[in-house]
Amino acid sequence: MSSKSRRRFVLAADDWRTAGPYGPGMDVISCKGLTKRFGPTTAVDGLDLRVSACQVYGFLGPNGAGKTTTIRMLLGLIVPTSGQIRLLGRKLPDPQGVRRVGSLIEEPAFYPWLTGRRNVEVLAATSGGASAAEVQRVLGLTGLGEVADRKVKTYSQGMRQRLGLAAAMLGRPSLLIIDEPTNGLDPGGIREIRELLRGLSADGTTVFLSSHLLSEVEQVCDRVAVIVRGRLVDEGPPGTLGALRPRVRIIVHPTKAAAAERLLARWPARRQNGSIIVEHDSGSEVNGALVAGGVIASSVVIERPRLEDRFLELTEQKTTSREDDHAIAVES
Amino acid sequence: MLLLLKAECRKLARPLVWGTGLAVVGFCLLLTWVAADNARGALSSPKIPDICSHSATPQCQSLVAHAHAAARAAAIATSSLAQPGQIGHLAAGMLASLPGLLLIALVAGGHWGGERGLRTIRQLLSREGRRGRVLAAKWLTIWATGVATMLCCWVALLAAAPAIAAATGLPSAGASAWAGIGSSMGSLAHAAVVLGLFAAIATAAGTIARGQLATTAITAGVMLLALLLASIASVGWLSPASFVQAWMHFPNSGYLPTNFWSKFMGPGTHLRELTGLIGIAVTAAAAAAIARWRMAADVTV
Repeated sequence: MSSKSRRRFVLAADDWRTAGPYGPGMDVISCKGLTKRFGPTTAVDGLDLRVSACQVYGFLGPNGAGKTTTIRMLLGLIVPTSGQIRLLGRKLPDPQGVRRVGSLIEEPAFYPWLTGRRNVEVLAATSGGASAAEVQRVLGLTGLGEVADRKVKTYSQGMRQRLGLAAAMLGRPSLLIIDEPTNGLDPGGIREIRELLRGLSADGTTVFLSSHLLSEVEQVCDRVAVIVRGRLVDEGPPGTLGALRPRVRIIVHPTKAAAAERLLARWPARRQNGSIIVEHDSGSEVNGALVAGGVIASSVVIERPRLEDRFLELTEQKTTSREDDHAIAVES
Repeated sequence: MLLLLKAECRKLARPLVWGTGLAVVGFCLLLTWVAADNARGALSSPKIPDICSHSATPQCQSLVAHAHAAARAAAIATSSLAQPGQIGHLAAGMLASLPGLLLIALVAGGHWGGERGLRTIRQLLSREGRRGRVLAAKWLTIWATGVATMLCCWVALLAAAPAIAAATGLPSAGASAWAGIGSSMGSLAHAAVVLGLFAAIATAAGTIARGQLATTAITAGVMLLALLLASIASVGWLSPASFVQAWMHFPNSGYLPTNFWSKFMGPGTHLRELTGLIGIAVTAAAAAAIARWRMAADVTV
């Protein structure tokens, strides 16, 4: 058992939002064949997802990939066309199950004529109530204690974002589903929110985090799922995902590039910005193959692609394969 | 449910609701002042045919005497209606007719249609997944706003109307100031039912329109169409406006109109009170069914 999984998670047994206890390894979110169609458009296509308790789980994808639709289905705002969702052990649709989830969907929306505190109180009452101390706690956690009595219409975007997080954390929910939590925050604020999310995870809260800020996901998440055009294309710990395909970047004289490509044909390779990227994890084997064929490389570097590169690559591959499929269909 | 209602009530503490409520109360007070002033004016110079202005024929004398008597009767009726015991009819009539409809349409636009406009509907429905409860809470709070405004209007008129009648120099009503209080309260109770109908239509409009202005427009538009329909002799009795008229027994207006409804009603729409109540209930149930059906749709804002 990892040190993280041994962490004691704090659950308030008498708390209305707490559905637990959900120990490490238990599935908090489980989707099977989740599909949503809007007319002829398939927004989410047979998505299978399992999120274990006490994790920060990243959900990545380009615009229009189906992230928000998936989140809305998890929260009961959108009815799936087909497939199953289990949330905190309860099969959806289940309004009681959804009530125990803290959420922040896209840009948080509030009642501008009310103060920040009153907004949080209203949201707390909507989902079953919370004490004044609890409201103060979440406002303090998000750094809004001093401005809580100002009307929301005077808040900056960053303050609204913090208020959205405060509302999501009300009642110490077992599961937090948040979409782009650091939108509009300054670097200091982003760091605070990251630390906050890690702290929540350490205290036993599962965080399902949708973001396109890959550096953020790399730093915060325990596992990451990548979704493209409604389909899950990759899933795993960010470290593993980033190192899934270590590769070798070589630079040879332009006149030798074609020969080098022939020599390296046993591995997938492609040219990129004057260098050749070889999908292989051993620099010495790649260099050996070049030397054996009489090509001297001026540079041989083993690259461990960042999640950002991996994400773009996965996205491009998926897009390209779809386009290829389409082209074939048109030709045939 | 109580906590949800508490949350919804807190959302109502906004300038739109205060402003609309104050406008309706102010309108009732202004109407009372203008009506009392008109009645006083008519009393001092009753409507006498031009031909009798400079003639003293027996017919003219009779006509002049009749005009004076009619003006005095109208002034006494206005003075009587302005007394605390009767003024409830005015508050009830106003809120159960166009001013009340406008109030409900505006409040529903901000309170329910605005949830989509502000995109707060996502937070609301992800926290309270039982959409039927959300609809019920919205209907109840919109209705309660209407009833609260009616009661405020009544209280304001209780305090101000006798003073207005006295200040404009209307003749004394003669009867006890509190005479007819029971009938007034009955009228207020009837108006509360009509406000329930307006609130049901507004709640349904909010689920269809999905925006503040559109909710207001649909709510007001539906009832105005109903009024228009009510003026068509052959089918008017089928209109929800006719049900309201039958239930409220709105009289034809004098110097102090007690409603803005009956003057739009056409002939042939005289239904019984019970038929009016059943019609109101059926219309409200139809609105609730539409709201429930629309509410099940995906939330994509």
